[in-house]
Amino acid sequence: MDVLNHLLNGFHTALSFHNIYLCFIGCLWGTIVGVLPGVGPLIGITLLIPATFQFDATGAIIMLTGIYYGAMYGGSTTSILMNIPGESASIVTCLDGYQMTLKGRGGAALFISAWGSWVGGTLSIIGLMLLAPILADFAMKFGPPEMFAVFLIAFILIGSLGRNSFFKTMPTVFMGMLIGTIGMDPLTGVLRFTHGSKDIYDGLGILPVAMGTFGIGEVLSSTEGSLIRIIHKVKFSELLPTRKELRASLGPILRGSGLGFVIGLLPGAAHILASFVSYMGEKRLAKNPEEFGTGRIEGVAGPETANNAATGGAMIPFLGMGIPTGPAPAVMMIALLIHGVQPGPLFISQQPDIFWGLVASMYLGNVILIILNLPFVGIFVNILRVPFRILFPIILLICIVGTYSVNLSTFDLAVLLCFGVFGYVFRKLDYDLAPFVLAMILGPSIEVAFRQSLMGSGGSFSIFWQKPIALVLILLSCLMLIWNVFRALRLTRASWEKALELSE
Amino acid sequence: MNKERAGSLFFLFTGIYGFVLAIQLPLGRLNEPGPGILPLCLSILLCISGLSWLILGKRKSGEEASPDLHAIIKNLATPLQIVVLSAAFILTFTLLGYLVASTLYLFLTFLWVSRFKIWVAIGLAVGIGVGSWYFFGKVLAVQLPKGLLPL
Repeated sequence: MDVLNHLLNGFHTALSFHNIYLCFIGCLWGTIVGVLPGVGPLIGITLLIPATFQFDATGAIIMLTGIYYGAMYGGSTTSILMNIPGESASIVTCLDGYQMTLKGRGGAALFISAWGSWVGGTLSIIGLMLLAPILADFAMKFGPPEMFAVFLIAFILIGSLGRNSFFKTMPTVFMGMLIGTIGMDPLTGVLRFTHGSKDIYDGLGILPVAMGTFGIGEVLSSTEGSLIRIIHKVKFSELLPTRKELRASLGPILRGSGLGFVIGLLPGAAHILASFVSYMGEKRLAKNPEEFGTGRIEGVAGPETANNAATGGAMIPFLGMGIPTGPAPAVMMIALLIHGVQPGPLFISQQPDIFWGLVASMYLGNVILIILNLPFVGIFVNILRVPFRILFPIILLICIVGTYSVNLSTFDLAVLLCFGVFGYVFRKLDYDLAPFVLAMILGPSIEVAFRQSLMGSGGSFSIFWQKPIALVLILLSCLMLIWNVFRALRLTRASWEKALELSE
Repeated sequence: MNKERAGSLFFLFTGIYGFVLAIQLPLGRLNEPGPGILPLCLSILLCISGLSWLILGKRKSGEEASPDLHAIIKNLATPLQIVVLSAAFILTFTLLGYLVASTLYLFLTFLWVSRFKIWVAIGLAVGIGVGSWYFFGKVLAVQLPKGLLPL
C-alpha cells in the first residue's frame, strides 16, 4: 500500500508539463545517441549536464535517466539495419537482426526489439520500485567493513563477468584501480602520482577517461576499415511482425526481462552481459540452435529485452546504495552531486519525491520510447543515412565538447585523447575495457572503506569477521575468487591439451 | 610477440612505474594505513600479472606467427591522422575559439581523412562548425571559448 501511495505521489510529480517535457527530451536525445555508433549514453548524459543546471534536481535526473534507457532502445536500430552496434549492449543483436533485414524482415526485427525493450523496461521498473527501498533500508546498517565487503564482491564480479578470462581481466582491473589513486588521498590529503601538476590534484576525472576509452577509442577502431556503410531501407508497412514471430518472441521477452533485471544488479558491463547471456540461453533452449545467426527472431527479442531490463536493475544499487554499476550511472551520480543530491541508503527516505518522481517518469519514458521507436523509427534511420565519413568527425566533436563542458578544462581534453588512444590500442589487443573504467570508479571507495575499517578497529583485521554481514560477503567473495581461478586454470589446461593434440 | 605479451609489457611497465612512486609515499601503520598502501599493492600485482603473461602468454592456434607489418601500418594510418588532427584542435581550441578551431578541424578532417573535394570539405566544415557552435553554445548553454571572435 505504501509503495502505491508513493508511486501515486511520484506520478503527481512526473506528470507536470515541465517534467514530461524533460522526460521526452531525455528519451529523444538518448535514442539519437544510441543510434549513433560510438556515442552511447555516457556521452549523451555528459553533454546534457550543463543544460540541467537551469532545472531542479528532479527534472535533471528525469532527463538524464531518460537518456540512459533511451540509448538502449536506439542502439538496436543500427545493429539491425547496418550490422553496426549503436551501443555496445546491441552487439549481439547484429547476429540475427541484420540477417532478418537481409531477408526483408528488418521492420519486424525493429518492432520486436522495441516491444521487448518496453516489456523488459517496464518489468524492471516494477522491480526497482519494490526492491530499491528494501535495499536502502538494509544498507543503512552498513558501516565501513560491510561496504568494503560489498565492494570486494563487486570487484570479483567485474573480473569474472568480463568478455575475457579472469586472469586476463584482472590486470585491467588493477590498472583501473591504480589510475583511480591519482590525485589527493581522500583521507590524508597526500598527493599521489601528480608530479606537481595542479590539474590532477582531483584525479584524472572519470568523464574524460571513460569518454576517451569508450567514445574516442570506438571511433578510432571504426575508422580503420572502409568509411563507407550500407544502410537498408525499412517501410512503415513492413514494421509489423507475423503472428508466428510474435508467438516465438514471447518466451524470450519474458525470460530476458528476468535475466536482464538480475544481471543489471551486478556491477560490470551489465547491459552487454545481459544481452549475451540471453542470446546464449535462447540458443540453448531452441529446438534448432544451428539456425541462430541466420535471422531468428528469438535472437533479437531476448537480448534487446534483457539489455533494457538491466537498466532498471542497475538503478537499484546506484540509487539504493550509492554504488554506480557502470560508467553511465557513474556520470549520473556526478550530475546528481552537482545538484546536491547524494544517491545512497538515505536518498530514498530523505528525498522520496525525487526517487518516486523518477520511478514514475521511467514508466512514462518507456511509453514515449515505444512511440518514438516504432512509428517514428524512420526519423532515426535518416540520421544513419548521413555518410559515416561525415558522421565520425561530428561524433568526435560531441566527445570533445562533452568533456570540455563539465570543467571547462583543456587538460581534460588531453586526458580524453590519451585515453582514446589507450582504448584503441587495448581494443586491438582484445582487452575488455569496461572493467578498467569501473575499477577506476570504484577503487577509491574500496580503499576508503578498508582504511576506515582498520582505523576503527585499531589495526585489527578481526573487524571483518566480527560483523556478520561483512563476514558472509567476504566468504562469498573468497568462494567466487576460488571458483574463478579454478575455471580459468581449467580453461588454460584445456587449451594446452588441445595445443598438444594439434601438434601430434 | 602476440596480443597477450604486448599487453603484459604495458602492465609490467605500469607496475614498475607505480612501484617506484608508491614506495616513496607514507605507508602508515596497521591502525592507520597510509596513502601508499593501495598503490604499492596494485603495482606489485600489476608487475606479477605482467610478468606472468609475458612468460606464459602464448600464441593461440590459428594466430599468425608474426603480424603483417604492412597491414598494421595501413590500418593505423586513418586513426593516426585523426589523433594528430584532434591533438591540434585541442591545442588551438582556447586560443582560436571554438568556432574557428572546430571549422578548421572539420575542414582538415573532411579533406585529409574523409577525402572529400576541397569545396565540399569547406562547405561541410563551415555548415557543421557553425551549426555545432549554435547547438552546443546556445541550445545546450555550454561555455565555449570565444578566442579570436567576439561571439
